[in-house]
Amino acid sequence: MEKLIQELTPHAYYKLVVFGGVDISITKAVLTLLIAAVLTFLLFWIPSRRMKLVPRGWQNFVEVLVEFTREGLLYEIMGEEGKPYFPLIATLFSFIFITNLVGLIPGSLPATSQIGTTAAWALIVFIIYNAVGVIKHGPIGYLKTFVPPGTPIFLAPVMFPLEIISHIARPFSLAVRLFANVVAGHMVLGVFAFLSFTSLIIIKILPFSMIVIMYLFEIFVGGLQAYIFAILAAIYIQGALQSEH
Amino acid sequence: MNGNIGLLGAGLAIGLGAIGPGIGVGLLVAKSVEGMARQPEAAGLIRTAMFIGLAFAEAISLYALVIAFILSAK
Repeated sequence: MEKLIQELTPHAYYKLVVFGGVDISITKAVLTLLIAAVLTFLLFWIPSRRMKLVPRGWQNFVEVLVEFTREGLLYEIMGEEGKPYFPLIATLFSFIFITNLVGLIPGSLPATSQIGTTAAWALIVFIIYNAVGVIKHGPIGYLKTFVPPGTPIFLAPVMFPLEIISHIARPFSLAVRLFANVVAGHMVLGVFAFLSFTSLIIIKILPFSMIVIMYLFEIFVGGLQAYIFAILAAIYIQGALQSEH
Repeated sequence: MNGNIGLLGAGLAIGLGAIGPGIGVGLLVAKSVEGMARQPEAAGLIRTAMFIGLAFAEAISLYALVIAFILSAK
């Protein structure tokens, strides 16, 4: 157990401490994150160099990905008014998915298994949807949307703090959901790997086949969590945009 | 009897914390499949709503898992 936790704790490759003790060392997780960022960039950039009217191969794949993000994810939630937020949602989806996939390569450390990574993304979503709401309704108008329309006036002082708490819980749950899913998946993989090392030679195949199954499941979970992160970001933005009826 | 009582707490935390979300996820998927079978043309909408609901239900047990990690790492 302690070994597994140690495995998920990054060790610095290159020590770097600036600004009075802020640790920005290059760890395994940072390296994975950078690799994922470069891969995400290349995935979309290379086929866009030579775009053809009739897509083939790589471009076809990317077009399916983009279309899924737009039709199946963004427009399903926000409709046509979600168009300005497409770059944000598509980036979140593809970047988180690729980070999860890169983290699954044996020997690498998933960047999403660090609470700091996911917390940063959740904070970005939190700031953006609040900013969108403030720009749309104005500061006072946005605070007014915290109380649902049609609430009796004596209930408003109760509803308002409740809404504030639920808004604060949003980035927290976004960050913890992604982080805990990835960590739990890797813990399960680690436990089965440990079992397949220590168990009797005749039944070694059982934990090993479980590793294979869990690996496939982890790929699915990586995609699902990326999808959920992106769709929740879309829902929050849509909720901030909504005016009182 | 000696040993780390935190491990017992960790086991209890995730074990008890998984009961509620387990029931919730079961109900959620059962009703979604029912809805999809009844109205196949609404399957896409139902699936989206189901995944969002799954995420919320699952998050509750993941909070318990985080607590379990904290307790067992002590």
